[in-house]
Amino acid sequence: MARDIATIKKDRLRYTKNKMSSSMTYLAILFNVLYFVNIYQSDVNTYYYTMTIGFSVLCNLVFLLVAFLSSEGVKNYKMNYALVLILLGVVQIARMFGIPRMAHSTMTTIDAVEVLVMDDKQYMTVIILLALSAASCFVAGINGVIKTSVLQKYKKDNGFE
Amino acid sequence: MASLKLQNLNKIYDNNVQAVFDFNMDIEDGEFIVLVGPSGCGKSTTLRMIAGLEDITSGSLIIDGEDVTQKPPKDRDIAMVFQNYALYAHMTIYENMAFSLTLRHEDPNVIHEKVLAAAEILGLTDQLNKKPKQLSGGQRQRVAMGRAIVRTPKVFLFDEPLSNLDAKLRGATRREILLLHKRLGATMLYVTHDQTEALTLADRIVCMSMGYVQQIGTPLELYDTPANLFVASFIGLPPMNFFDCKVEEGKLIGDGFAINLNENDKATLKDYVGKTITLGVRPENIVHGNDVTLSVNSNENLGQTTLVHGKIGGHRATAKFREWSTYKLGDEVGVSFNRMHFFDKETTNAIR
Repeated sequence: MARDIATIKKDRLRYTKNKMSSSMTYLAILFNVLYFVNIYQSDVNTYYYTMTIGFSVLCNLVFLLVAFLSSEGVKNYKMNYALVLILLGVVQIARMFGIPRMAHSTMTTIDAVEVLVMDDKQYMTVIILLALSAASCFVAGINGVIKTSVLQKYKKDNGFE
Repeated sequence: MASLKLQNLNKIYDNNVQAVFDFNMDIEDGEFIVLVGPSGCGKSTTLRMIAGLEDITSGSLIIDGEDVTQKPPKDRDIAMVFQNYALYAHMTIYENMAFSLTLRHEDPNVIHEKVLAAAEILGLTDQLNKKPKQLSGGQRQRVAMGRAIVRTPKVFLFDEPLSNLDAKLRGATRREILLLHKRLGATMLYVTHDQTEALTLADRIVCMSMGYVQQIGTPLELYDTPANLFVASFIGLPPMNFFDCKVEEGKLIGDGFAINLNENDKATLKDYVGKTITLGVRPENIVHGNDVTLSVNSNENLGQTTLVHGKIGGHRATAKFREWSTYKLGDEVGVSFNRMHFFDKETTNAIR
């Protein structure tokens, strides 16, 4: 008996991966990497950054690891990983108020000259990259939550579990 | 589904080796054709020419009235199943089966329904989320067939699909292919060197040797009335026994034996009186009797039957008795031939 499109779409989830969420997570990782390589492009270089650099590097490594694991999890419709991705999106937004904000509002003295640690252009770049990374995480996570819920309900209703 | 017309197909490779000579055949819609022959006889080359994987040197291939000789493989609407399955190891079974349709940018929902339908036919529904390495050889071959089925091609081509399977699995998969053919009613061409597959699967068999078609016919025709010595020796297991015999008035004189001919055989051989012919007798046509003596060399009990190897006159011979026998080396068994085939010694063609 021919099935309606909505049912077929749900049934397809049983055999196809959540490639969209997975791809969006990879995109989030990419934006984070770009953020990471942009944030230290400063004339003042290590004059300002001390312990913050170490913490920042650690944050990025943790983000990369968790995001990568989540991309695999969400690909296979794991609800926990989808929620983790939403959390990562929140973390990326929170990071906007960390180093970029600090560096953008701080002056430092180099060779008796007062300079801004992070100029406006660099500030905007890293903020945009973090925002894109966060948005990608949100899209991946929300999409993951929706599809996983649909699949779980479909499986439950049809006795596939 | 489709009918095929193969007209004067020839294949000559760049090194001037001719693999197929003047292949002619009309294949009806829904027929199951098996190309059988020893390695290097041109059967796979013929199949690959039909698929478009080999250029046709001369001749023409017509599918459903349309000449596709010069068409590329993708435009022939033919699906081929290979001996080595040719599955993508990194894809799931579902993805493998859907792959060709995905490449064609078909609607994913339509692809899904086709894959599920094919999986249902082949009993693969529970395996769709697995990777090929998690399946047995028989299941992998079914996946390869499924990939062909989802395309709903005009013609299915099978190139020795069971050769990688063990004997038990081969038998089971063979039956599945037969059921599949009945269920789909598709036109299928199947290449094998295994005569059991040929005899059990085919509507018609094409027996080939050295690039030439030796005989085209139903399995029974090839078994019962082989066109020549090659077909007679190739079809049948154990193979047919051959004896050089001189035809005399009402008798066949062999090396160490003489057989009286019946009226039918006399009429068949009337033009060969005084000449030497090749007498062919299938092992199952050698029965207990008193016409000739079989000197036993060895005895193989197969349960329901016994193969007795030995010599009749100066010729090696094998008899297949329908009982459990315990003959020993040196035993002499009286036998008769209840069915004989005659072949011209010069042309090797059957004498009828």
